[in-house]
Amino acid sequence: MVTIFGLTISEIMNIMVKEGVSIPLIQPLIDFLLKIPIIQYVVALILWKPVFAVLILPGLGGLMISLLFIIWFERKLTARIQWRMGPLEVSRPIAGLMQPMADGMRYLFQEVIVHRGAHKPYFVQLPILAFIPILLPIVFIPAGSIYGINSPYSLIITVALLALIPVTIIAIGWASNSKFAYIGSVREAFMYFAYEIPFMIMVLGMIIIYGTADMATIVEKQGIWGAFLNPFAFLGILITTAMATSRLPFEIAEADQEIAFGPFVEYSGILFGLVMTLAYEKMYIMGLIVSVLFLGGGGGPAIPLLGDLSPAIWLFIKALAVMMVMAFLRSIYPRYRLDQALRIGWNSLISLSLLSLVVAVIVRFMGGV
Amino acid sequence: MKDMAIDIPVEPPAELKSLFIPIPPEYVEDAYNKDEYLVLVGPQHPGSGHMRIILRLKGDIIMDAIPDPGYVHRSMEKLAENRLYIQNIPLLERPSIMDPGNYNLGYVRVIEKAMDIEVPERARYIRTILAELGRIGTHLYDAGILAVFLGHTTGFMWPFGLRELICESFLRATGTRITSSFIVPGGIRWDLDEKVLDFINKSTYTLEKRLKGFERIFIKNPAVISRLRDVGILNRREAIEYGVVGPFLRASGVEYDVRRVEPYEAYPELDWDVPIAEDGDAYSRFLVRVEEIYQSISIIRQAISDMPGGPVMSEDLIGRIKEKDKVSRDIRGYFYRIFSKLKLPSGEYTVLTEAARGTLLYSIVSDGESNVPYRVRIITPGWAYLRGFMESLKGSRVSDLQAIYGSFGYFPPEADR
Repeated sequence: MVTIFGLTISEIMNIMVKEGVSIPLIQPLIDFLLKIPIIQYVVALILWKPVFAVLILPGLGGLMISLLFIIWFERKLTARIQWRMGPLEVSRPIAGLMQPMADGMRYLFQEVIVHRGAHKPYFVQLPILAFIPILLPIVFIPAGSIYGINSPYSLIITVALLALIPVTIIAIGWASNSKFAYIGSVREAFMYFAYEIPFMIMVLGMIIIYGTADMATIVEKQGIWGAFLNPFAFLGILITTAMATSRLPFEIAEADQEIAFGPFVEYSGILFGLVMTLAYEKMYIMGLIVSVLFLGGGGGPAIPLLGDLSPAIWLFIKALAVMMVMAFLRSIYPRYRLDQALRIGWNSLISLSLLSLVVAVIVRFMGGV
Repeated sequence: MKDMAIDIPVEPPAELKSLFIPIPPEYVEDAYNKDEYLVLVGPQHPGSGHMRIILRLKGDIIMDAIPDPGYVHRSMEKLAENRLYIQNIPLLERPSIMDPGNYNLGYVRVIEKAMDIEVPERARYIRTILAELGRIGTHLYDAGILAVFLGHTTGFMWPFGLRELICESFLRATGTRITSSFIVPGGIRWDLDEKVLDFINKSTYTLEKRLKGFERIFIKNPAVISRLRDVGILNRREAIEYGVVGPFLRASGVEYDVRRVEPYEAYPELDWDVPIAEDGDAYSRFLVRVEEIYQSISIIRQAISDMPGGPVMSEDLIGRIKEKDKVSRDIRGYFYRIFSKLKLPSGEYTVLTEAARGTLLYSIVSDGESNVPYRVRIITPGWAYLRGFMESLKGSRVSDLQAIYGSFGYFPPEADR
């Protein structure tokens, strides 16, 4: 008898099926697949809630879909505002929706050049290592009953992991060993401190309001959305999201007109594809956090046909909405100078975050939620 | 604040030795001894042409800026000495291809001045319209370049989209979108019919409406204002001393416009203002040009509504031709009969024109015998305000370089000729 951790395979199957995602819409199909000998293990594993959360929604699958969608959406929206057509050559009938996919394919088949000056091991590893702080927070973000790990500190862990991403970007710039990459890294480091502190203070304010750092409880407690409980924190976090994901008024580290994509200047091929999407992936995670903290998380009218998937879909849609707002910024704003952005971060944003902290304390003393 | 210095041995860029760069070795040594360093910007600048700027930096602050122009020098003055007077028209509008009206006008007026040719009134009005269309087109082009320097892609696309109206107007009026060579000594090539004038008139209304939108998204955008305000300041005295011209001089509070001071064409008969600003910073340089677009629109509308009838070619030049009535409205087919034997009386003739970016000087020296000029001198506005541009860089931050560059609308092909 084969045992894993003292459990037989059939016992493991039982656990996975019992804790599986139930989707009434495709239940007959799942039931049918669970009867086929080998495939049943794969299906049961994927539908097991912790694995589903990481692999499908809100995890890797949601990340990829949002990535492909938001890049297309950003280009299309910017093009419409600028009296252009936007991507149209690839898949004309669906308005060029496959363009990011085609770009990804092109990156995949392009030669990856590692220049002589680069610190080779780090230069090649870091774009891939950067995925660790991006994928790990997803484990802690709950979408209704679908979650990877349920922890009373999930919000704090998520924010802490998120703060690691700029470190990888700075390391990327260092490993590139080029003038532009160096300037970009320094700018990234400056910006990192300018937005991270107000961001942390505002998250702290929300923890005070809800009285817990457990994201599942936070979602449950939101009878009124957090955005209405503490509008200052909501506004502030939207601005810090724009800064953290280098959206346009604060696209200072990558300023392509000034320093040619800064830290990423030396990358080519699929490695450039990976580092270029870093900011969008971070935007997805921050979109999820904003949805959980301010927009009611997975809450929303339940769709009976989707069962457990319904909150996950709501969370995904809300995160996507936040990303779409961020994408809109590109066509309205020019780039701030570094010192102006730092002044905004250290002056206005800190004041705003302290104000939101005061509001949070008042809300807490008024009875909280 | 205490002056901080970090003792890190910094090597001068290798390009300072391997390339020809117009600064002496002592200057480099001096800079590196004083905890300053040199940064070479360009010549592969992704903006509006090729030029190298050598920045002497102390930390983030520009202490000195030395231009290294000449990368797009096309030897126009020398080329002009080997061509007929009439063949020089297409050549001498090449410095600034988006502004053909003013560049043609300047050269043609030198010939008219030398030969004392009287230009018919209708031709003068049409020339004014073409000059102002070119001015609007250039200002929109520069606004687009400024926007993309600041990272504002919508501010780049909208003016270039609007410039299509100008290009289309040129296309319908002259047959080409840019470099029209439409203005010839004694008048213009052919008369514009009512349909074309009506199109130009209507397009000014579209332009005005769309410019309001541009004003909302770019000109009054708080981030744009914070990038341009109090950056690259040239005060009134400095602007005059460094020989800054055109809208950039007017942005420093000097009310000087060649169209006012030495009126030509239909300008004295029309009603228009010279927009000036007092601050002399990058933002006012930009605002003055935006205001000039509105003034140009007004000039074009007035010129179209007040347009007199009559011939568009001077009697003085077509007097010998039999089919005078036909030729006075359209010189196509008679071009070389009229112009190939053009000869200027000996002497030196100079004329100032207000091109879009500033005062444009054309000077011709003729020996009175040959049908090619002995010497042609062009001083383009770009060349004239290069000094002021470099002086205004001093004291700003490195990241302001783009904003100041864009605010001057510096166009190296124009400056280098």
